[in-house]
Amino acid sequence: MLRPEQMRRLLIAVPKGEIDTVIRVLYRYNVYHIEDFVPESESLEALSIGHPLPGASDAASALIKVRAIENACGINPDNVEVREKIPAPKVREMIRTDLPAIQKRVEDLVATRSRLEARQKEHEQRARELEPFTALPLDLELYRGYTRFTVFTGHIAHDVSIDVPHEKYFSDRVDGNMIAVVVQNEHREQVERTLLDAGFQVIPVPEETGAPADRLKAHADEIQRTAAELTAINEEIAEVRDRHTDLLVACDELLTADVERAEAPLRFATTEETFITEGWVPGDQADRIREALEKATNGRIYIGELDIEDDARVPVEYENPSFASPTQVLMDIYARPRYSEIDPTLMVAIVFPIFFGLILGDVGYGAILLALSLGLRKFLKGDEGRMLLKVLSYASISSIVFGILYSEFFGAALPWPALIFSRHLNIGVAAGGHGPQVAELMVLAIWIGILHITLGRILGMVNARKFHHGKHATKAAIANAGWLGTMWGIIIMIWAFYAIPLMPDLTGLPVVVMGLNVAAVAGAVLLVAGILAIAQENPLELVELPSIISHVLSYARLVAVGLSSVAIAMVINFIAIGMMIQPQLEAITPVGVIIIIFGILVLFMGHALNTALGLLGGGLHSIRLHYVEFFTKFYKGGGKKYNPFGMKSKFTEE
Amino acid sequence: MVDVGMTLEMVQASQLGMKALGAGLAVGLTGIGAGVAEMAIGSAAVGATAENRDVFGLVLLLTVIPETIVIFGLVVALLLLF
Repeated sequence: MLRPEQMRRLLIAVPKGEIDTVIRVLYRYNVYHIEDFVPESESLEALSIGHPLPGASDAASALIKVRAIENACGINPDNVEVREKIPAPKVREMIRTDLPAIQKRVEDLVATRSRLEARQKEHEQRARELEPFTALPLDLELYRGYTRFTVFTGHIAHDVSIDVPHEKYFSDRVDGNMIAVVVQNEHREQVERTLLDAGFQVIPVPEETGAPADRLKAHADEIQRTAAELTAINEEIAEVRDRHTDLLVACDELLTADVERAEAPLRFATTEETFITEGWVPGDQADRIREALEKATNGRIYIGELDIEDDARVPVEYENPSFASPTQVLMDIYARPRYSEIDPTLMVAIVFPIFFGLILGDVGYGAILLALSLGLRKFLKGDEGRMLLKVLSYASISSIVFGILYSEFFGAALPWPALIFSRHLNIGVAAGGHGPQVAELMVLAIWIGILHITLGRILGMVNARKFHHGKHATKAAIANAGWLGTMWGIIIMIWAFYAIPLMPDLTGLPVVVMGLNVAAVAGAVLLVAGILAIAQENPLELVELPSIISHVLSYARLVAVGLSSVAIAMVINFIAIGMMIQPQLEAITPVGVIIIIFGILVLFMGHALNTALGLLGGGLHSIRLHYVEFFTKFYKGGGKKYNPFGMKSKFTEE
Repeated sequence: MVDVGMTLEMVQASQLGMKALGAGLAVGLTGIGAGVAEMAIGSAAVGATAENRDVFGLVLLLTVIPETIVIFGLVVALLLLF
């Protein structure tokens, strides 16, 4: 919580004879993050990269075959539901016995399919070329084979008159018109010029015989027949897929594991007699894996523990309570935390849904999004997608809660008045109400901004100790305190001059100097001290001072974006119900019924659109407030992902 | 200045209209400003993401920075209207 998981750095050295056992154990435990060995010029000459285990290339080529079949059948192992786990020996047996037959069948089917597709394309091309000629009453062989005559065929903007002896056919039945002109060879250039002036474009005559219309029909029939055959082939492929998916994904998994294991030595350092590998293990797993390795090799192994020197090299694994873990996906979009810094996932997990609810506080929209996030869970099979949906479901629950507080249901009021602040605008049907409490809401949003940024700066002071060493750490911490002081100095000075609702009123305090009261002086002192504290670390940072104000004001979007969403909802309600449905209900006529149906359509389409807008607005703006306004105060990120050597088997069991 | 034929109600109504006009200008002009600013950043961001997906978080951040302008416009408009 608030910290990535503790890691321990292990150094393992084993004799070459034991390498197989060690890899097997490490793979099964699935906790050891291998640090790839990179031979450097200054490293000991005796160390070099290891060679893959025997059998690596066989497994790799078998895997390629399986992947090719999966590809042809459109199987994605990530999206396959697990029905039963097949024992590994059985899968190995089936790779030998069943797989070649399946492979041959799929290859045949795919070859046939591509042949058919090529044939279909060819006929389509021929049909396209023939089409303009159907406009003219000539058989195709009549266009060619002359020695003393030249034939022009092509599109033309308009009919032309030709003043030399000629034979001409013109038709405007096709797009771009069609013209065919036959002239003696000696008039050729003259006619060509006349034609080009009229926008002539040559179309070559297809190498076929007979009436164009008949040929076109023949091609169309051929296309239809090929399409039918293609459907049949696709059905066969689908049948193969349905029958063998379980086997194929099991083969894929098993072979992937084989390949990864066999190629692991490529990531180790070797000497003549030993393998050496360095890697990371979560703190609580280290002893377990050490025991397992020692037992498996009968003690013929050296396992040492090294110090962590550079936190950028440590792989980072989140450690969060289960309700916060889906939010990790939002963290990964920005950057994974560094090993030594504070992991803000928990704070984002709590604050993000609150922001979302503040923006999209509406029982109706919240319920739609909740249903959507629960319903889509069945269709979305990837891990990341599911985590995003979980985040969305928390956010929509928060939206429903705030909807109850705001008393909003698709923009309309619920039977009770707003419990916190009203966002009901005076639009259409709701006109004459209390009106929105924009000023109060705005101040509330600013308060949230002030507190959120203060929290960010305090975390920044804590993190400064982690990023820097010695004197610079203190300087960085003081600079963060300086930013905090400057912000609060400005705020207190504003309070001293203006009375703002929902904020402390300091205007009435006794005046001390130059017409300034106590609070104004205190604020000014805080401001100057803060600026000095920032400058002592780096004076250039002072150009960022205006961002203090813009970042705090930026939280006003919590209200602004929300209000615009309310406004859209109310406008939709007014147009659909107030202007279209209600007037017609008073006296129903046949035309009125159509207008009512249209009004219902507008209502549905409008609210669907506003739901999408609300999701985008609520989601993007809430996360942006975290990324831009919150994280920039303390968060660095850039940690490596913890990627243990091994695999959670889904489809097979050892 | 008292113009002939101008009643107090008319003056108030026209003031209300001016407020609405100001609010509209505040949102509209800042919207254009944010759009122009985001145009260049957005296209560069898409290009960078196509090259390397890891920078997505960073470029999303860069893209939304000018958005603050239009939020300020919206805030000003809301304060004008209510």
